Amino acid sequence: MARLAPVILIVEDDLLIRLDSAETIESAGFEVVQAANADEAIAILTARPDIHVVFTDIQMPGSMDGLKLARFVRDRWPPIKIAATSGLVPVEDDDLPAGSVFLPKPYGGAQIIAALRQLTGTA
Amino acid sequence: MSEFGPIDEYKDLFENAPCGYLTIGSDGRITKVNATLTAWTGFEADKFVGRRLHQFLNMAGRIYYETHIAPLLRMQGFFNEFALDFETAAGDRLPVIANAAERRDPDGTPLFTALVVIKAADRRRYERQLVDSRSELQRGLATERETGELREQFIAVLGHDLRNPLAAISAGARILQRSGALQQQKELRVLDMINSTVTRMSDLIDNILDFARGRLGGGITLNRDADRPLGPVLEQVVDELRTASPQRVIETSFEIIDPVDCDRTRIGQLASNLIGNALTHGARDEPVRVGAKTEAGQFKLWVANAGDPIPAAAMEKLFEPFFRGNVRDSRQGLGLGLHIASQIAQAHGGRIEVTSTPDETRFVFTMLARRDELP
Repeated sequence: MARLAPVILIVEDDLLIRLDSAETIESAGFEVVQAANADEAIAILTARPDIHVVFTDIQMPGSMDGLKLARFVRDRWPPIKIAATSGLVPVEDDDLPAGSVFLPKPYGGAQIIAALRQLTGTA
Repeated sequence: MSEFGPIDEYKDLFENAPCGYLTIGSDGRITKVNATLTAWTGFEADKFVGRRLHQFLNMAGRIYYETHIAPLLRMQGFFNEFALDFETAAGDRLPVIANAAERRDPDGTPLFTALVVIKAADRRRYERQLVDSRSELQRGLATERETGELREQFIAVLGHDLRNPLAAISAGARILQRSGALQQQKELRVLDMINSTVTRMSDLIDNILDFARGRLGGGITLNRDADRPLGPVLEQVVDELRTASPQRVIETSFEIIDPVDCDRTRIGQLASNLIGNALTHGARDEPVRVGAKTEAGQFKLWVANAGDPIPAAAMEKLFEPFFRGNVRDSRQGLGLGLHIASQIAQAHGGRIEVTSTPDETRFVFTMLARRDELP
């Protein structure tokens, strides 16, 4: 029985970085949905029950930054895994919900794919 | 004999000495005071006699006299070089330095206490100024520190704000590259140049941030990890530089057999800075050779290039910040690369050595593969 590809929601305000990450992640066999900010992300999560991982930038303009989004997602949709990235380190361990993955920017394509495989159990 | 007999001379010496004299009886009351002190204070001698010394002092002086001077005098029989403030008849402050000594009879019974007083307005002012200027210095230092912290934050934010748009440019170039839309030789060359520029700028930002951190306290901090392999990190650094300079040849030979207890990211940065330096200054038509190996408990990394040797005068300054050699083209950086590399080497307890001959210029980084066990 063919398994469906895990669905990854990318939340990143920079269009070029978002497109690049989306292509990289798609090429590794994931399905990708894109959001430019936390509000869009929540709208998508509300509409689609099949998201496995939210991969979010931490520094984002708008009502919620990536850390707030991560906590919101953990409270509202506990099974969804979280990967977060930032160019500003260090991010403290307890800033992110337990079981999350943090990737410092700039991250390479191989790093994000490895992290997503680990989170989705498709390694 | 002059009419000014010895007695008179002594009396004159007592009365008009260039210092104030005062004697205090065993009952604590003033018995004698000389003319100099009466002139300085504006109180006649008969105002002094029969009264207690602390009545002529200001409040701080009284407290000090009662709590320090009087007890010590009683205990050790003298007390020297203490500062007191008299209060003059006009209500002014008269700062003095004083010595006091008790006279006792052969049985040890105190007879009187003699007090010598020297006007010390200038000296006390000078001391006050010293204290003031010290606190001013401390304030200045505190301000300097605050400015330093602000500057550090500024640089950290700047580094981040520069990195983000740079990451966007790099992402855009990757998207174009993947799309296969660009086929013309010229277009591909432009893509290469975008990539190489991004790498250079990214290295510059890293170096600026490290320099700022190093200069503003903290220094380079290491995140050592002997368990994970160093080889792939070095391979990746070389790959990035190959992508950034596609027209150049970088040859590698890595034989890292033993674990190396190092900060792999930092050693990657050190390698990147040394190779970047070789690409900038080496002969363009000759390969840059990079090697790394573990041997006899040591980790060695070397980078060699052909080209003109480094002039002797430049050798001494190679690792100083902002040192820039003579460079032909626009690859000129800030002159921080080798400086940061040497800082990283030092942080690992290692060193970088340079040899430069007409045949070859070679930088060799050496460190202990394992940190010394504590004795």
